[in-house]
Amino acid sequence: MTAPDWGFPSALDDVSGAVAIAGVGEADHTKASGRTTKQIAAQAIERALADAGLTPADVDGLMYTPFDGHQFTADDFRAHFGTSRELWVSTLGGGMVWAGSAPYEAALAIRTGHASTIVNVFSVAWATQRAEMMGGPGEVHAAELFKQNLEVPFGWFPQPVYFATIARRHMAEYGTTAEQLGAIAVACRRHANLTPAAVMREKPLTLAQYLASPMLCDPFRKEDCCLISDGGGAYVMTSVERARDLRRPLVRVAGVGVGTSHTGAYWSQQGDFTATPQVFAASGAFRMAGMTPADVDVLACYDPFTIVSLMQIEDMGFCAKGEGGPFVTGSTLHFDGGRLPYNTHGGMLSHAYVLGIAHVVELVRQLRGEAAAQVPDARVAAYGGYTGPQASTLIMERA
Amino acid sequence: MKFRAEFPLPDVEWEPTRPFWAGAARSELVLPRCDACGRFVWYPDGACRRCGGAAHTWTAVSGRGRLFSWSIVHRPFIPQLADLVPFVTALVAVEEDPAVRLATFVVDCPHDRLALDMPVAVTFRPLRFAGVAGSVTAPLFAPRQP
Repeated sequence: MTAPDWGFPSALDDVSGAVAIAGVGEADHTKASGRTTKQIAAQAIERALADAGLTPADVDGLMYTPFDGHQFTADDFRAHFGTSRELWVSTLGGGMVWAGSAPYEAALAIRTGHASTIVNVFSVAWATQRAEMMGGPGEVHAAELFKQNLEVPFGWFPQPVYFATIARRHMAEYGTTAEQLGAIAVACRRHANLTPAAVMREKPLTLAQYLASPMLCDPFRKEDCCLISDGGGAYVMTSVERARDLRRPLVRVAGVGVGTSHTGAYWSQQGDFTATPQVFAASGAFRMAGMTPADVDVLACYDPFTIVSLMQIEDMGFCAKGEGGPFVTGSTLHFDGGRLPYNTHGGMLSHAYVLGIAHVVELVRQLRGEAAAQVPDARVAAYGGYTGPQASTLIMERA
Repeated sequence: MKFRAEFPLPDVEWEPTRPFWAGAARSELVLPRCDACGRFVWYPDGACRRCGGAAHTWTAVSGRGRLFSWSIVHRPFIPQLADLVPFVTALVAVEEDPAVRLATFVVDCPHDRLALDMPVAVTFRPLRFAGVAGSVTAPLFAPRQP
């Protein structure tokens, strides 16, 4: 079999064992709340530092994504926490793909002495912004001029339509069924029902209810699509040596991989329409970790839509390409006895639409044994990050 | 963010896609073709993604293709689409280079006849949207005999 040529893996230094995640925190995840993106970020950082047993003065590095102009910057950090020190700053942090690759950049910064205690933070106030008829996840695509002039005029917009089209091709090509997509939504909802911080904690979902619900953009129903919510999260990274002296059980980063598609965010033109750049990301992360997918006790993937979960599970090597449908059927993804416990907090479908940062927070809690839907004796966890143009794999282990 | 008043009609004067819309206005499907390697460069780009060639010529194609994938949209995600639901939005792989996929509407086809890789042919029709003045002629696709 020839290697796929529609993208490429990043060449990364080996950072296995170089960095630990010493503290995690989530802001309150809510429907429209009137809060700003920065207020949400500040709450998440406060909670992550408290979790680690650190103070704002200990922080000398900050990572975020500058993507919507509202993210929490070094100036915001100093103003909010009343500190004055200069911070090492990287904009290769935040959520999505960067929730998985930020530990790589942090490991390099720690190794080269640029920083010792680095916060990665991400937050959104999209529920509030949508209620105010501004912003939100679709706007960035409508503003892109090739999409505005070649896709939107044909109703090929916004994200639910992109991914419904991908799902349709996956179904036609591989025989994937509505019941199989529904199994993903049901597993995520069940986990959210057990998770106090989840937006959908009070709303159960059965497969029968899923199948009976109306089509939004066929083959997608509402439950195939992520929430829109206000919320955020943060995690604190430091060296493994230093993390040993902190208060929390040691969770160290074992492997990181990053993959990129040549066609960027033009899903319509992606070389392999029913795959993700995990094809190029995951194997490098497992190689760095000296592990295989069979070693993973709990998986969390960036899941804007059920099909993105399915494709990443395939592309990360948990089953063969095209066999994701049969693989996820039934209780495979459930935390209590499933073969591959998945998005055990409910993911973006049912926990909160905070673009992956809460996935990493949840996995750290799983490895510490303190999650709400706890996988028994979880020792190895993997996060699949995704933005469309890029994917990342982050492998963490309990030391 | 403010969009053009005509949104979601295309901006037919936007230079990178102007020839595409000018072609549609005269019922021709034209795509940029790399002078060096002969492959199509879609979406338009300064350099051919396959060979790097910088000279491209907008070239008429047959208008035949295959239905690559589709979605039947029941909920209008933007108010301008409200009058059109349910509609079939799709990607069509063009015959001359199936790696080129055009976003389009599928027309003249019952929903239960939509099928993967179904043969389709271009038909030029006006795009009109609720609350938006004017129309633009666009390449839509309908089933054809193989």
